[in-house]
Amino acid sequence: MLKAIIDNIKGLYSLLVGLSITGRFLLSPRQTVHYPRKVIEPENMASYRGPLELVPGDPDPAQSRCISCQMCVRACPGHCLTVTKGASGKSPEVWLYDFTLCCLCAACVESCPTGAIRFSHKVYLVADSREALHLDLLGQLKSSAKQTS
Amino acid sequence: MDRLNFINPFGVRYQPDMVSGDFYTKNFAKGAAENTIILNLGPQHPSTHGVLRVIVELDGEYVIRAEPVLGYLHRMHDKMGEVKTPWQFLPNMGRVDYLHPIAWNWAHVGAVEMLAGISVPERAEYLRVISCELNRISSHLVWWGAFVMDLGGVTPILYAFEEREKINDILQIVTGSRLTMSYFRFGGVCADADDRFLKLIEQFIPYLRKRLKMYKALVTDNVILRRRLENVGPMGLDICQRYGATGPILRAAGLAKDTRRDIPYGVYSKFAFPIPSGPTDDCYGRYLVRLREIETSLLIIEQAISSLPDGPIVIPKAPKPTFKLPAGESYFAVEGARGQVAVHLVSDGGKTPYRVKLRAPGFSNLSLFAEAARGTLLADAIAILGSLDLVIPEVDR
Repeated sequence: MLKAIIDNIKGLYSLLVGLSITGRFLLSPRQTVHYPRKVIEPENMASYRGPLELVPGDPDPAQSRCISCQMCVRACPGHCLTVTKGASGKSPEVWLYDFTLCCLCAACVESCPTGAIRFSHKVYLVADSREALHLDLLGQLKSSAKQTS
Repeated sequence: MDRLNFINPFGVRYQPDMVSGDFYTKNFAKGAAENTIILNLGPQHPSTHGVLRVIVELDGEYVIRAEPVLGYLHRMHDKMGEVKTPWQFLPNMGRVDYLHPIAWNWAHVGAVEMLAGISVPERAEYLRVISCELNRISSHLVWWGAFVMDLGGVTPILYAFEEREKINDILQIVTGSRLTMSYFRFGGVCADADDRFLKLIEQFIPYLRKRLKMYKALVTDNVILRRRLENVGPMGLDICQRYGATGPILRAAGLAKDTRRDIPYGVYSKFAFPIPSGPTDDCYGRYLVRLREIETSLLIIEQAISSLPDGPIVIPKAPKPTFKLPAGESYFAVEGARGQVAVHLVSDGGKTPYRVKLRAPGFSNLSLFAEAARGTLLADAIAILGSLDLVIPEVDR
């Protein structure tokens, strides 16, 4: 009988302890990043894998380092890459990337012999249609080179 | 052999009619009996953690029969292993069990390394242990939050996710992703730990120890939780072994069995850590075992960080995505957050493996539910389901 009373008092005390903990957290600062007003710090984004992009070439940033060897196309488990060799030389003519099929596994990045592919850090990418995620990486590379020059 | 008189190695007689876990599958035209109702829990009920469907027959508030139905999240991972090269199958491993992907990474990579005879540099072995244990902690934290939420306490999951986000920040540095991680490579790992990675872990360990004390005061000692869990859903050693349950469920039943200790893989044999087991085989016992496992993982991480050797993280000439397996067979088991995770590979020397079999602990653990839930209150059945720590993508594969 006495034991049951003591147990109940202890139980009620445990509820008070819990309430005091949640009360303390009520007054603690916000832990989340409130997106439109704040963005994630760049040091946290450095390792984030966003959609693929081509690495700009050394003398000419509009030119890709790609030699159209098709290693990435063969390695990709999702079949999301299309690389077509140009008429002259080894540089590619078409470099299409279907982001809807990509699982960001890095098979292409790790199999590339020239280091021509890397992950971007575009975490805020949004699209309103499936076609908008079929990316032309060679075109992106050229337009970004034009912007920087 | 007479199936009906078959006695398994643990000395338990096989009795097919002891529990009808597939009653409605066999008698699908049967409706509710007089005075009972049939209720579908799921496939979209939030307390079933994903798309598990449980058919329960109720007499008032009491469960007469409970039957889990699978197949709503089947993605043919075993079959996909047969049409992809071992390298291309690696990203799948992050998707089998989204809460503890690194254990599945390890099981597959280990099976391939065993078959191809690939050795792993020591630094990579340590990084594997560190990432796997961090991931185990984050998995247990999500379970903890979701389990308490099933029981009606909504606040703790927010605290659990605060810690989980910190772990995700740490693991993102090396794995590049926050959920479906694919960190291991044949013969090593894909990225080296930098100073920031090690610094964040060193800050995280004392922080989590402090938070675990808060968890105890807030939830573990709470009288409502104790009354909801104590003596609910006991699963004795006998039925655990009969159904092949592993992980915290088996350990809560009193058997300190852990793959990290029994079949040491990687560098686990170099670390000293206890295997938490007992004290009770009810829901509260399983709850306590998982919380103690978080502390065990912290101990292992601490030892691994302090003795992390320098050196390469992957062997020279590591297998490329077009790598072909030699002919043969291998089976590699690791300890996941939910129990023993294993991959069985059979190769005939071709481009892709001949057969891949994934052993998911959740499937065996779920099989206990039909037996444990019989005769309990419906609310207790939900507590039992939560205490099993189910991840349906892993159960269904």
